[in-house]
Amino acid sequence: MKILVVLRMIPDSAGELELTGDGRGIDREWLDFQLNDFDDHALEEAILLKEAAGATVVAVAIGEGSNRVLQMAVARGADEAIALEAEADGMIDSRAIAGSIVALARSKAADLVLCGVQSTEDLFGQLVPYAGARLGWPHVSGSSRLSIEASALRVTQERGGGIAATYEIALPAVIGVQTASKAPRYVSGSKLREASKTAMGKAASEPAGFERSAEIVALRLPGQRGTGENLGDNPENVADRLASILAAKGFAGV
Amino acid sequence: MRIVACTEGSFGKIEPFSLEMITAARMAGAAGDEVVAFFAGQDPEPAVTSLGAADRLVAASAGNTQLIAAESYARLLADTVAAEEPGLVLVPYSANGLDVAGDLAARTGWPLVSYVNEISRDGDWLAVVAQVYGGKILAECSVPLPAILMVNPGAFAEAERRAVDPSKLQHSDATPVVAEGKVRLVGVEVPNYDGVDLTTAERIVCVGRGIGDEASIDIARGLADILGAEIAGSRPVVDSGWLPKVRQVGKSGQKVKPKLYLALGVSGAPEHLEGMSKSDLIIAVNTDPKAPIFNVAHFGATCDLFDLVANLSERLQTGR
Ligand SMILES: Cc1cc2nc3c(=O)[nH]c(=O)nc-3n(C[C@H](O)[C@H](O)[C@H](O)COP(=O)(O)OP(=O)(O)OC[C@H]3O[C@@H](n4cnc5c(N)ncnc54)[C@H](O)[C@@H]3O)c2cc1C
Ligand SMILES: Nc1ncnc2c1ncn2[C@@H]1O[C@H](COP(=O)(O)O)[C@@H](O)[C@H]1O
Repeated sequence: MKILVVLRMIPDSAGELELTGDGRGIDREWLDFQLNDFDDHALEEAILLKEAAGATVVAVAIGEGSNRVLQMAVARGADEAIALEAEADGMIDSRAIAGSIVALARSKAADLVLCGVQSTEDLFGQLVPYAGARLGWPHVSGSSRLSIEASALRVTQERGGGIAATYEIALPAVIGVQTASKAPRYVSGSKLREASKTAMGKAASEPAGFERSAEIVALRLPGQRGTGENLGDNPENVADRLASILAAKGFAGV
Repeated sequence: MRIVACTEGSFGKIEPFSLEMITAARMAGAAGDEVVAFFAGQDPEPAVTSLGAADRLVAASAGNTQLIAAESYARLLADTVAAEEPGLVLVPYSANGLDVAGDLAARTGWPLVSYVNEISRDGDWLAVVAQVYGGKILAECSVPLPAILMVNPGAFAEAERRAVDPSKLQHSDATPVVAEGKVRLVGVEVPNYDGVDLTTAERIVCVGRGIGDEASIDIARGLADILGAEIAGSRPVVDSGWLPKVRQVGKSGQKVKPKLYLALGVSGAPEHLEGMSKSDLIIAVNTDPKAPIFNVAHFGATCDLFDLVANLSERLQTGR
């Protein structure tokens, strides 16, 4: 079995995000880019499947810092690493990169494409349904468990309220991973150094194959919507205020 | 223009966001536009008794499946879109919607904007506001019609719940479509609450990834005990195995509305807010002053959560 796993590098949204002068993009100059969390889980699920059922894992990374992440993927157990050419200085638009992922899935003869269920840059839609529909393969988003049973794929999908549905799918398929069956593993420095010897492949981007998309008129920071009160950053003062607020509202005693 | 509003329901209930999609459709529409609610699932009854605020209901049901696979839902929706020729399709941002919206966009070639909070009509275009970067940035987009929007639950008010007039109901049997699908349902798990039910808890202390590690959960648990509160977690905390799944708040966890919700080191991503933003009193502690949790908090503090918990626990215990 051949698994293609997609790794997108996105800005760390826990950091400060500032807009560019024209207001249509975010200033990328000082941003930290990190692997999309859900893609990290997709990678882990790919490696877990490889360990459980035997598979070749091809990791494809896109965006700033791809090479570093590909090394990490190899250190964790990926067999092949490919950096996909990205448009400089833009969001990683899943609608736009779907064409490249479809081309890679075909050229690598993948049986299973794993991606994170979404990224915070998926303004124009998610990669999983785009790639799945384009390939004509079934797709399921939001998996929390994957396994191979008698050459069929079992996918547990989270619905709301803690309810989970398990589906069986004939391969090939595209899956959007929400959570890997086990938390992503750490890799040691020595494994990373060893992985740095692996040759990284490159792939050129392919046309998206979509005609129309929406236009970003402007980006803006949300105004403080609530009428919330800022208690400041001094923990002793905050604790004093909260203790009296909680007491006044009847929460201080059990 | 005709607008198709996608709705969902299972286990005898309609998802409340279904009614929100009808409101969103009215916002996007102009006078004379027709709003058609679309439902696919096991049992159309809750849709029939709730979605009367739409002009019509197209309901497909497959009695043999508890939770219809998104693949079948998408197929049935695509058939409805082909028959109704709408100018706009609204899909809720749900587990199902994540597969359905992009699938329809790929098959029609229509534009898709996801994580949408606001919609208004601008002639043949729509002006929409969508959230990116976990709610830290809003994107104003101009979308040509026909189009598909994936709409955030909680962004629009629920339309009035009333029964669909029988003459406005078009019902079909989805069993053959489900049977043809490549995605087969083999089991449904309902969580084992083991006495934990966050949905009825009056006080909740929720820890986010800012808590750092499993051992530190005990620090927050100490404060929760003093407050008589249940401990809960955001998704990364539960995914890391630091708290059980039944204690997850948000889109794929529990939707809670306690009298007190204290969020420690939670950024307030839209998927988290969906589960708690209606709480009576929200207090948030997060070192990042731009964290979106502060958009819904009644009181916010930007100090380190460990410093705050230590100080607050002491004050509450000593009464000083
Ligand atoms: C389909 C789907 C369903 C989802 N369902 C859910 C769900 O049910 N529930 C859920 O929560 N999420 C859900 N998510 C995930 C959601 O998008 C976010 O990734 C998640 O809510 C982030 O959790 P967090 O706030 O704990 O972590 P982060 O976003 O990493 O935030 C941690 C915060 O802690 C702060 N911090 C760090 N250290 C400290 C400190 N010492 N003191 C104070 N503050 C500190 C940081 O400033 C940061 O804001 C879902 C996502 C998808 C795609
Ligand atoms: N989920 C779907 N929604 C809409 N059309 C579909 C879907 N799946 C397949 N089709 C279309 O149905 C036809 C037969 O599909 P298939 O059975 O996959 O070869 C093709 O035109 C597909 O594009």
